[in-house]
Amino acid sequence: MSVHDEIRSHAGFDAWDHQSAYVYEPGTGGEDAPFGQRPSKRRKVTDATEHLFTSESYKSSIGFEPLFGGAESEGCMLLREELYERYWSETELRIQSVLDEANEGTLADVSQFVNDSEVYRSDDKLPSAFIVTGPNISSQSLLFNQLSTKLRSEINGPVITLRSGDATNLKSVLKIIIRTATNQLLDEGGLSNDHNVGCKKIVVAFQDSEAFETNILVDLISLFKSWMDRIPFVLLFGVATSIELFQERLSKSATRSLFGIQVDVEQTSSVIERIFQKAVASSSAVLRLGPDVLSILMERQLDHLQSVQSFVAAIKYAYMSHFYGNALSVLCDNSEPADVTRVLEDRHYEAIRTLPSFKKHIERLVRSHESSRIRALLQDDEVLSEEVKQALRSRQKANLQLLRTIHAFQSASDEAIDCVNLYMTVFEGNLQQSDFVKVLLASLKRMAPAQMLTLLSKITAAIREGNPGMNLDGWSFEDEDFLVNIQDVERKILALSNAADEAELPVRSSETIHNKGLRTTVVAQRVQLSYAESTLTAHEKEFLEQNERVSGLLENYFTTDDPRQSLFSEIWLCNSTATLLEAFAPRPRAAVESALCVPDQFLNLEVTINSYPQRTSLHATAVLYQRYLEAGSLINMADLWSSFLEIMVDEEEEPDERAVLMQFYHALADLKSMGMVKQSKKKADHLAKVSWKGL
Amino acid sequence: MFCLPNEVLLSTLRNQFPGRQEQILALSSLVAIRAAPCRNVVLYGLHATGKTAITRAILEKLSSPPTQQNGTQNEHLDDNEDELRYAIIKSAECITARHLLEQTIASVAKATEWEGELSACPNVAHLVVEVGKMINKWTDSDDDRSRRRLVLVFDGIDHQREITPTFLPALGRMGEIISNLTIVYIVTAPRPNFLHLHGVPHIHFPSYTKAELLQIISTITPNPELPSGPEDTKSVWTKFCPAIYDTLNKHSGRDIVSFRSTCLLLWPKFIQPILDGTYYPTPFSRLLVANRTLFQNDSILLPSIIALAPNPTTNTTTTKLPALATQLPFHTRLLLIASYLASFNPPKTDMTHFMKSAIARRRKKGGGTALTRKSAPKHRKISRKLLGAQTFVLDRMLAIFSCLKEDAYVSAYNRKRGMRRTGEREDVSGSADIQTAIATLASLRLLVKMGAANAVDYLDGGCKYRVAVGWDVVRGIGRSVGLEVEDYLAE
Repeated sequence: MSVHDEIRSHAGFDAWDHQSAYVYEPGTGGEDAPFGQRPSKRRKVTDATEHLFTSESYKSSIGFEPLFGGAESEGCMLLREELYERYWSETELRIQSVLDEANEGTLADVSQFVNDSEVYRSDDKLPSAFIVTGPNISSQSLLFNQLSTKLRSEINGPVITLRSGDATNLKSVLKIIIRTATNQLLDEGGLSNDHNVGCKKIVVAFQDSEAFETNILVDLISLFKSWMDRIPFVLLFGVATSIELFQERLSKSATRSLFGIQVDVEQTSSVIERIFQKAVASSSAVLRLGPDVLSILMERQLDHLQSVQSFVAAIKYAYMSHFYGNALSVLCDNSEPADVTRVLEDRHYEAIRTLPSFKKHIERLVRSHESSRIRALLQDDEVLSEEVKQALRSRQKANLQLLRTIHAFQSASDEAIDCVNLYMTVFEGNLQQSDFVKVLLASLKRMAPAQMLTLLSKITAAIREGNPGMNLDGWSFEDEDFLVNIQDVERKILALSNAADEAELPVRSSETIHNKGLRTTVVAQRVQLSYAESTLTAHEKEFLEQNERVSGLLENYFTTDDPRQSLFSEIWLCNSTATLLEAFAPRPRAAVESALCVPDQFLNLEVTINSYPQRTSLHATAVLYQRYLEAGSLINMADLWSSFLEIMVDEEEEPDERAVLMQFYHALADLKSMGMVKQSKKKADHLAKVSWKGL
Repeated sequence: MFCLPNEVLLSTLRNQFPGRQEQILALSSLVAIRAAPCRNVVLYGLHATGKTAITRAILEKLSSPPTQQNGTQNEHLDDNEDELRYAIIKSAECITARHLLEQTIASVAKATEWEGELSACPNVAHLVVEVGKMINKWTDSDDDRSRRRLVLVFDGIDHQREITPTFLPALGRMGEIISNLTIVYIVTAPRPNFLHLHGVPHIHFPSYTKAELLQIISTITPNPELPSGPEDTKSVWTKFCPAIYDTLNKHSGRDIVSFRSTCLLLWPKFIQPILDGTYYPTPFSRLLVANRTLFQNDSILLPSIIALAPNPTTNTTTTKLPALATQLPFHTRLLLIASYLASFNPPKTDMTHFMKSAIARRRKKGGGTALTRKSAPKHRKISRKLLGAQTFVLDRMLAIFSCLKEDAYVSAYNRKRGMRRTGEREDVSGSADIQTAIATLASLRLLVKMGAANAVDYLDGGCKYRVAVGWDVVRGIGRSVGLEVEDYLAE
């Protein structure tokens, strides 16, 4: 469900809806409301969200606010907003291009199927395509929107997309189908009577076919089948689980009347990887996402929901929170790097001086006894501004280097490497100790000269050509030394393997050279074991040498700095995870339970010095909730009431039972509206406990 | 003056529908004007026995008598001709009973060339009045009323949606009120006396016998034909079809439609060796032996909704999607396992399986001791696995989930030590993600919500669920998260 739908579904909701009694006030609003207007509960809910999102008040409400306790200048605030708009729209474009590409294959397959659907049509079969989307339901609506736009432009006929929410019974579904089809035909200036149109195809798409009631689906299929000789239907089914499961659910007769092809959608994980490459790991991304943020994002993808949309939303949130909450994000402007510090104010310099990376830098300087430099940095804004400029300039280079390392490493390794994991390792700055490099270096040892040559050529190719996906150009000029070394090794290995071939003594890999051969000999019915030292040919000796050299070169090349430790990394690295989890993984049930357990923390009650709070401040619902937790699965109402009464009244005072009873009713109604109790059918005068704490 | 329908007409029909002589003769005499027209006729028989096709063919023939004069009968001037007209109403196309009634009026109006207004038709009483008006006007236009007759065919009326129990008896009485009307009911298996009228002629359409089936199927020309000519094709086809019948369709799918589809489906594979040039059509037995695997694979009888790789080139390039188990996120898989356990474990054994203090007893499956075991149970209990999934409330499943979670975290940590994890997992209990996962499972129908569809919300605590996946799926999912589901299952 999109955000838009969600808002719309809540549009008519207010607290009065669940109240059992109303005071009817005919006078209010009667004057200006015209006679015959529907009552508020039955009125037609207009699309309030359209209004909400376009209205001026909404636009200004998402506007940025001045930071530094409101002391930030308006210019800086607007600059931050502008930077956010600019960079996010760039990123969004890149993401959108990936999303469009991702479904392109599927769309082409489906439209080809629809065009060729006559092949699958026989006397009793409806041509139908089954689009296996995988269990990520949220991506289905995007796919089906794209599909209906594409099909409507390509085929000469209406395209009707059905959702399970619309399909409550057969009549309503048919109404939707007929209405949509006639509307679309009228829009195109065609006939409203679709029976007369001979050549057209009518595409009916079931977006989430699993969520449809099975009998509605079966009825629809049998209806389509009986109309098939007059209306050329083509059916599309979005299948989230698998075709077998879907087929099991249908009746035999419905199954018999469907025939068609299966179309697969690109998997979420590979789409996410591509988005990651384009939007996060791209060299043109201004804001770098840190390893902590990424690991949370990826973990959520694995553990909870595999959804491209939520991944994109999380990236957007990271951008928003960085530019909204970080005053120093004005420095992210990379359009004119010489000039960035011009906008800085005194408060910015103060803020820079509190940055952890700056503090570490100062500590480093203290250790090297550069007191004059420290003093200048701490006191002179000019010096600091120079330092910032320099740091920003150098970080662009450093980041580029990191990305190049990632690309080179990816192309060097044999098996496919999880790009996200590699990126996280590199941005944690411990690539050289990671398993990735260890595996690569170990594999070097097992390589014969031919394999070694392909590896080296892959690395040189990667350096020369770059990676268009990550927006990296080739960088052979900048890594001249490394390339020269690699090419030198390449030449030598080539020469020696040629020479070895001529001598008909193939060069072995360095691992087999080092392994001592175990030799068994049987002498007089006894087995003797002896180690045979392998003898090295001259070529092999040289190969070993070159192998060592490559290993050293690569280890050196794949050694990177930790970008999190570099000076002023807070400006361009978004690595704060606190708000991200709160925004994307709320825990509503746990929050309600804890609020009921410790209402004092939420209600801002005055807690007296006595540990026990005042009786008057006791919150009735919370008290009743405690009683509720202590009870079993069936709760006797009389017991509940008497224990509640005992807590709520003082011993000394005359109990005002009526007032307490009212509180009791109120509290019970609260619990009921939260779905915690319901009437028990097992026993009279008992409540059934519905929800347990901590689940 | 009684006379049977034209013999030429009957013989063409007999040739068209082999094995249906009796039914054709009976039906045509029961509707023909000069034979023995009845008010009601019931045709019954199983799926694909030719009820609708034969009715349509007979009525078509009877309503357009063989004639030499060009177009004169259209003007109804020829007094020597009887005029029979018909309307067929398919119940499969009618959504409600009212839809059926209006469909009936419309088709009767069309058949009788009624030019007046068509009124709405809310019930059968109205239908009788309207149809009566139309037929009277039509028959009155002829001098001799008895020479005109309307046949109304209700096809598949026993499967009509939203029909009241009095609907069919009311239709049965229609012929008493309106003269010159015959109603034909086509049903699968009528209840005795379902029209509440005695003496309604019933015509049974029995299933085709093997000889009849083969006779019908021999009229089809299969595609593709053999290169050596249509005679060879015919001879191989007539030998091929009995072989298919005896091996595959004898025991299931004996009706003509599924037999035909099986034959046509297997034909291209069967003659592939001939097309390749490895075998010749003449020694049929050699061909049969070469293709014996075709006759052993009875999965062909199950209707498939997917084309069997029409062009294998595209199929090899697209990689197969992995199983469902690996597509679901980690916690969703755990929730599915928890639901399975909640469905198949009786609630009273939850203590033994999931309480922390009972870990030592967990592997004992049931937790009974030697003292509690009785010598022989009084009544034999049916295994819960055989009873199918039972319903459970959401909170019980969530409690099981939180137990499983602990175990799964440990085993996942052990297996993926190399993988990056930010140490402690965040607490997921009561989080919106879990609730989303439950709603997703429910909308994928892997969990089935019990009770009325819109009665309570998906996440309401009082809502009851049942799991809809089988043991094999759950075991696979369990292994993918490092849990052996047997360890938690009672019995």
